[in-house]
Amino acid sequence: MRATQEAILAEMRAWGYRYVVTPTLESLDALGLGLDAEQLRRLFKLTDADGSLLAVVGERTVPVARLVSGRLRGVPLPQRLCYAGPVLTNDPGRFTRRRESYQVGAELVGASGPVADAEVIAMAVRCLDAAGLRRYQVDVGHAEFFQGLLDGLALPADLEPGVRAALARRDFVALEGLLDATPLRSAEHELLLRFPALRGGIEILDAAGRLVRNGRSERALQELARVHDLLRAHGLGDGVSFDLGAIRDFDYYTGVIFEGYGAEGGRPLAQGGRYDRLLARFGRPAPATGFMVHMDRTGEQLRLAGEGPELTRLDAALAWAAAGLEEAVRLSGLLRMFGMRAVVDTGPRRLGGALEWGRALGARHVLHVTGGDRVAWAAGAGRPRRLSAGQVVARLADRAP
Amino acid sequence: MISIAIPTGTLLEGSLDILRRAGVTDVDHEEIGRQLMVERDGLRVVLVKPADVPAYVDHGSTDLGIAGKDQLWESDGRHYELLDLRFGGCRLIVAVPESSPLEGPGSWPPTLRVATKYVRSTAAYMAGLGQGVEVVHLHGSVELAPLVGLADAISDLTQTGRTLRENRLRIVAEVDRSTARLVANEASLKRSTGRLQELVTRIRAAVME
Repeated sequence: MRATQEAILAEMRAWGYRYVVTPTLESLDALGLGLDAEQLRRLFKLTDADGSLLAVVGERTVPVARLVSGRLRGVPLPQRLCYAGPVLTNDPGRFTRRRESYQVGAELVGASGPVADAEVIAMAVRCLDAAGLRRYQVDVGHAEFFQGLLDGLALPADLEPGVRAALARRDFVALEGLLDATPLRSAEHELLLRFPALRGGIEILDAAGRLVRNGRSERALQELARVHDLLRAHGLGDGVSFDLGAIRDFDYYTGVIFEGYGAEGGRPLAQGGRYDRLLARFGRPAPATGFMVHMDRTGEQLRLAGEGPELTRLDAALAWAAAGLEEAVRLSGLLRMFGMRAVVDTGPRRLGGALEWGRALGARHVLHVTGGDRVAWAAGAGRPRRLSAGQVVARLADRAP
Repeated sequence: MISIAIPTGTLLEGSLDILRRAGVTDVDHEEIGRQLMVERDGLRVVLVKPADVPAYVDHGSTDLGIAGKDQLWESDGRHYELLDLRFGGCRLIVAVPESSPLEGPGSWPPTLRVATKYVRSTAAYMAGLGQGVEVVHLHGSVELAPLVGLADAISDLTQTGRTLRENRLRIVAEVDRSTARLVANEASLKRSTGRLQELVTRIRAAVME
């Protein structure tokens, strides 16, 4: 997982995102500014010496928002920030999940509109590539498309909370029941019931555009079309599909949203979107968008696909016997100077044992040093040859990765 | 290949029937009972315990599932509930012994002791009424509880009311109604290339017939 995380962070740095460290413990009041009641309920809480409540962070966007409006207040916007770290949540669901999981994410704070949206989506796709995933898909949607549908329905005030709740539960049976109780039959009504099917290529934007009759949804579709054009410029036109029926936390997200799914597995690997209201709650109003990768789910996908990151590389295993210890230690230092990874054995061995030991470690080269003027050297499973120490170092340096 | 989990027990016949009527696949009751998993017509049908259907679907081990709404009440899931399949209808009711002085909600003591398999639904219903409740979680033979003094009332599923009558219980309130539902895994819906949507459309059409 470490290697995958490094690869994702390296990609984020390549896009000019600065790595920031946010606290693992935050004041519950501060987290409360950005999380809903249910998310707050699931946090692990503890009490500070003065009696105030603290919580272990359950996600890291809110701490980043706090950072931007606090310690980084003097830094002009937009700011591009990335982070990696553990998060803890109680998830009293059907499965006993690990309470601790790992998230790597990025936030682009202080930029609104499709240019910023497309940048973050394109970077998310590149991060999944960098993680080593070969088969995945990224679906882009828009929170305002949904809000527009609700406007278009012109629901009686007493029905709207029920409709929102049914959608949040993904209960389309209840939703249909509620909508049947309203006298109006509009295109929005149909679109809402067909929500799970509103997925596809760029053509789905046109299809939806012909149906909707409200400004909010229409503007959302125009923005998505613009994002699509920009994604093409990023070289991603076809790898991304549109999901107008994505159900997310619509109180939090305010614009373009997206999710990445692996070839298998029942949950998204990456999630992100625009949240323009959050920063204002911390006293520095600014539009913002970002995403995070669930490292545990991504790691599982990599294992399933047999695409795990390669095992930790070891270039040289140095075994020794008799008077060879000092020479082995000196050689290992030389090899490290050439950027190679070298291990020196902790006890003496004969040549046969040394070869077995080195290969068990997965070392690309095994050296056996006995203190004479020759060193036994074997590359991989090859036969050992006896060369001078200088020759061995020169050959390994030639083949250094 | 698309996969669907269907439940053993009372909903099995109806589940196989709806797949047949939708022209999705024709799997025989005995065949699936023997093999537990049948692959045919590009569909994998898996037979599991009714209470386990949501687990299979939520985990993404099967793309779709058929489950009684009563199974969905009792646990949160991230599945999509797509269709009311309109079979397997039953009611979750509150019943008391025929000899009990208790009637509807207004007549209950400040704290009612209720025995049930449906802890969450019952507690939520009572909370909605503002009724204090002590829920006794049982796994079977719930009808027995009030007769031996374990509870004032029971909350249980009933289809025809026969079991209740046989145990000299009478219904005093209805908590909720249940039918079979078609549920889908979130990621499966997102990954589906139209095949899954087509299957859902056909099942919907068969239900509407």
